[in-house]
Amino acid sequence: MGRGARFLLSVLAALPGGAAAQPLGDAEYGEYLSAECTTCHQRDGSFDGIPSITRWPTKEFTAAMLAYRAKQRPHPVMQMVAARLSDEEIAALAAYYATIEN
Amino acid sequence: MIALNRRLFIGTLTATLTAPMVIARTRPRVVIIGGGAGGATIARYLAKDSKGALDVVLVEPTRTYYTCFFSNLFLGGFREYKSLGHGYGTLAAEYGVNVVHDFATGVDRDAKAVTLASGVVMPYDRLVLSPGIDFVEGSVPGWSLAAQNAMPHAYKGGSQTQLLKAQLAAMPEGGTFAMVAPPNPYRCPPGPYERISMVAHYLKSHNPTAKILILDPKEGYSKQALFEEGWDRHYPGMITRIGPDMGGNMLKVRPDAMEVVVDGEVEKVDVCNVIPAQRAGNIASLADVTEGGWAPVQADSMLSKTDTNIYVLGDATNQADMPKSAFSANSQAKVAANHIRGALTGSKVFPARYSNTCWSLIAPDDGVKVGASYAPTPEKIASVQGFISQRGEDDALRKATYEESLGWYAGITADMFGA
Ligand SMILES: Cc1cc2nc3c(=O)[nH]c(=O)nc-3n(C[C@H](O)[C@H](O)[C@H](O)COP(=O)(O)OP(=O)(O)OC[C@H]3O[C@@H](n4cnc5c(N)ncnc54)[C@H](O)[C@@H]3O)c2cc1C
Repeated sequence: MGRGARFLLSVLAALPGGAAAQPLGDAEYGEYLSAECTTCHQRDGSFDGIPSITRWPTKEFTAAMLAYRAKQRPHPVMQMVAARLSDEEIAALAAYYATIEN
Repeated sequence: MIALNRRLFIGTLTATLTAPMVIARTRPRVVIIGGGAGGATIARYLAKDSKGALDVVLVEPTRTYYTCFFSNLFLGGFREYKSLGHGYGTLAAEYGVNVVHDFATGVDRDAKAVTLASGVVMPYDRLVLSPGIDFVEGSVPGWSLAAQNAMPHAYKGGSQTQLLKAQLAAMPEGGTFAMVAPPNPYRCPPGPYERISMVAHYLKSHNPTAKILILDPKEGYSKQALFEEGWDRHYPGMITRIGPDMGGNMLKVRPDAMEVVVDGEVEKVDVCNVIPAQRAGNIASLADVTEGGWAPVQADSMLSKTDTNIYVLGDATNQADMPKSAFSANSQAKVAANHIRGALTGSKVFPARYSNTCWSLIAPDDGVKVGASYAPTPEKIASVQGFISQRGEDDALRKATYEESLGWYAGITADMFGA
């Protein structure tokens, strides 16, 4: 198993259960934070060269952001965005994006 | 919340009984001047997030906003002109923004009211200025707005961009395209050099013996190593840059004769793109919130340092470490929107954070980018962390970077005007 995958597993293990079971992050804060995402990732989920993150399951969203923050996953913009997100902020964003309505 | 509702109710009642004119002001009003990257974004966020609690008025003279961003791609033939145009209909119809197509001519800070060119006086509770840039008169000797048809700037969107494209297409075989580049600070630091890349791409296929001359008052510029590498690779021998060491800062132009005089030497050119020195859009000066041409702002809110009822966004501000870009203006708008809602409706105010990324296209599928995150410090909006494309990146990465920029354009315009 590669370092990245091991890291991901350990991170996932540290997270509380599934999206439904855990107390969600502060969605109002998540919505505010999401404004940084929507400059590139369209809120309605349209894909024009930058992938959609709308209604991404909490677990995957969180894992991706943690991997960017740890610089395990390549992409300079996303590494920069993730670098200053705390665990709570990632949780808030994940909660918001999982439940977003159009 | 209950107190607010009661106030609202009583306000409406009194208004109905006395002066009907007052009805419109039962909700706090935010007047936004300028419907560009900063202004359209904040109008949308204020209307969307306040859910009707704010009266959001957007003053913008044009019916269709033509983006400066991606206008270079239009010059290069990668974009249709009409794809750069965006209307305000969705902001009005779906978000309830009161879009007023008019031009602000004055701000009475004591009375908290804006005067429009039509003569209407529009009172505000909070005012947002996002007027973009105007040019510094006399900064390029011989050039003035009266000469902008002979020597276009194409540094505000719309007709000027079309004019420059037409002049490029009409260039004689083997002719010279000259650019007078601006001194710092100016909107979109890589913008002039992306433009050179796109002009070179166009000429390479339509007029391959043509030459490009850049007259530049600056020692260096954004993404310079990346542009120079790209120019050597894609357009060898076509582009000459004359920096300040060679007199690039000592020039004048003669629009009638299509001449550029560099350090006393006369150059005859066929197209001359003059990008003058810049300052905040004039309404910021009329409102008296500028200092040395730009509006100083508080780093944690985008509030003007001279008036606590006025916010300034985008190019017009003195933004410390942040570059003047649509991305920056859009990012600042969200911080200010959150702050204004907090002040007027009591909603939660979250800490400010800003970011920026600027993509540039050098040649087909050869995209590069530079970006950083920013945070407020007591002194300024300070850079936290940044990145830049590297020289010698492989073609696949450069292509992916270009494709990402297309996604960004779609994203930011949806974020400004509503999808
Ligand atoms: C060639 C070029 C390429 C660029 N490329 C990029 C890029 O790739 N990425 C990027 O992020 N940025 C780019 N930019 C920069 C970007 O266009 C600006 O930074 C951005 O538009 C700034 O937003 P703003 O709200 O400050 O001003 P603007 O978007 O210019 O909006 C100002 C608006 O205010 C209106 N206005 C002015 N005065 C008044 C008044 N008195 N009353 C009412 N309305 C008024 C104007 O009509 C205008 O619509 C580029 C710029 C250029 C020129």
